[in-house]
Amino acid sequence: MTDRSVVQIAFYAALIAALGLLPPIAVPFLSGVPITAQTLGVMLAGVMLGPIRGVLAVLLFMFIVALGAPLLSGGRGGLGVFAGPTVGFFVGWPFGVLVTGMIMKATKSWPVWLAAVVAACVGCIGVIYLFGVPGVTLITGVPIDKVLIGTAAFIPGDLIKAAIAGLVAQTVSRGLPGALLSRA
Amino acid sequence: MMSLYVPGQSWLHRCPAGVKFVLLCVISAVLLAMHDLWLLGLAFVATLMLYASLGPQGVRQVSALKPLAFLLVILFLFHLMTGDWQQGLRLILHLGSMVLLANLVTITTRLDDMMAALRPIFQPIRFLGLSPSVPALAVALVIRFVPELLRVYNALAEAYRAKTGARGSYRLIAPFMIQALAMSENVAEALSARGGASGFEPAGSARDKNAVGGAAMKEEIPS
Amino acid sequence: MGFWKRKTMAKTGQSGLDLTSQPYAVFEDVGLEMNQTEILQGVSLTLSEQRIGIVGLNGSGKSSLVRLLNGLRLPSTGSLKVFGQPVGAVRGQLPRHVGFVFQNPDHQAIFPTVEEEVAFGLTQLGNSKEDARVAARALLRRYGVEALADKPFTGLSEGQKQLVCILSVLVMDPEILILDEPMSSLDGLATRRIAALLRDLSQKLVMISHDLSLIDGFDRILWMEGGRLKMDGPPDAVLPAYERDINLKAQAAAADQASAGPL
Repeated sequence: MTDRSVVQIAFYAALIAALGLLPPIAVPFLSGVPITAQTLGVMLAGVMLGPIRGVLAVLLFMFIVALGAPLLSGGRGGLGVFAGPTVGFFVGWPFGVLVTGMIMKATKSWPVWLAAVVAACVGCIGVIYLFGVPGVTLITGVPIDKVLIGTAAFIPGDLIKAAIAGLVAQTVSRGLPGALLSRA
Repeated sequence: MMSLYVPGQSWLHRCPAGVKFVLLCVISAVLLAMHDLWLLGLAFVATLMLYASLGPQGVRQVSALKPLAFLLVILFLFHLMTGDWQQGLRLILHLGSMVLLANLVTITTRLDDMMAALRPIFQPIRFLGLSPSVPALAVALVIRFVPELLRVYNALAEAYRAKTGARGSYRLIAPFMIQALAMSENVAEALSARGGASGFEPAGSARDKNAVGGAAMKEEIPS
Repeated sequence: MGFWKRKTMAKTGQSGLDLTSQPYAVFEDVGLEMNQTEILQGVSLTLSEQRIGIVGLNGSGKSSLVRLLNGLRLPSTGSLKVFGQPVGAVRGQLPRHVGFVFQNPDHQAIFPTVEEEVAFGLTQLGNSKEDARVAARALLRRYGVEALADKPFTGLSEGQKQLVCILSVLVMDPEILILDEPMSSLDGLATRRIAALLRDLSQKLVMISHDLSLIDGFDRILWMEGGRLKMDGPPDAVLPAYERDINLKAQAAAADQASAGPL
């Protein structure tokens, strides 16, 4: 692994943290509903770094949270995070990023923004919910359909984040082409 | 350094990180297997007493449960409505104790000690030809980058505000990424300029101290 | 304690680098191409002076030239030997002997706290964490800034940041110190302090600077233009010529603008 890879992995781990610490960003289409940008960082790790480095970046972030850094949005962190009812979503992150990165690699002929939006939706929404929703059922005993209804409120925000991920990937690929490592 | 660690001298602070970690895993497994409401209640009270043993500062840390409180109430109400309030109570006691116990390890263990205790899990990366110091370097880089990224973002948001009068917008994220990535490219170059992520390759077969020692380590050898 | 003593042992390591070789760097018709752009062409030079300054406009190839010296970039054409060895063959060893201080301190610190940042070079050389920490503190004390040891790097003043960056390179006791516009983010006072520190170093210096007063006492000045060496000589010959050239270019630009009419 090159020095550049190590720094890039650390960079995206820090990006996930920093986006979680920023004040919620107002999005015009969903007036009044502020969304935290943390999972946007997760999407970007997969979209920009590709499967291997992307997963390593997410694992590095999760490791630092486990060490006790309060870097999950809302200032949460520490080992307690791994004992809560929504741990499935958290555990789903690396798998979601893996899929996101693989889709980016498999769609090199597509425009960057389209590939990024599709990859983020399938990997970082689909796969992560695939882990998170049954996880809540397993831990709390609440039937899966009820959990789905409860989490549906977050899906519009997630879709907007996927759209922003597409916009960011497209802009960065023009402004700093070397940074789109998933397609290098 | 940003951490949930609460400085102190309690017996839990003095307990080695590795011991705490293993105990946490064992106790969590036992709790998961427990279904008797009285036993679970006892476990929850015992957990609270552990916090109390840290003094008033410890008691305040029970607030770690706050972000979870809303969700726990909803879950309890759900089970109440389906007619199984005992299941709801069991859930609250289960999750409450486990989250609080895990948090207890976090608030009484310094980040460095936790890192050292978890070092064995990084042994496999030797087989990838990487130095075992790489994970620690990566952690340090992240902790260094986070405030820097916030600084870059805030500078952009300020410039945006000066021009438009509006607060931060999602439109800032792409330019933010480009500026921040340029910063990270420079850090990567600076890392290479100081010997790279895995340190200096030994010049010969052995790491001869005289061959690789720096200024501070040098012993005078009369020529 | 043998702290900060220069090496007395024979300076030929197992790496084959001859650290006493004079000149320490020999460029022969060196060219550098990146992303299909010629950055440097036909540079031939031998470097042996104690203190060398480099001037030139932005984009003239100065930064790339000094990056060749410690293996951050490799020449695309021609040959470059540092300490008697081709740079490509000893790339991994060079950073230890050719220290590099970058323009923006915020872009080169790797660690969150000052002590870790300074100690890093020593752990890189295979020293234990504890030894490195003690030595880093000793170095900080030597420069009167031990109080900064536990401070987060992000909270330092610009001058303190650049000082820490320089110390984190000096801790490895390099033979040569390269500085790429080290003062550009500093105020006047911090600039003078850093300049005084540099003056007292035993290392050979290669420094890029836009502030000509910082290098007018150096032994030799290189003037880069368009990726080529435009002039090379003592400061009292090169610096006045360089200033005259800048003035002429500025007048020409002003005349162009005037003839083009108001903006």
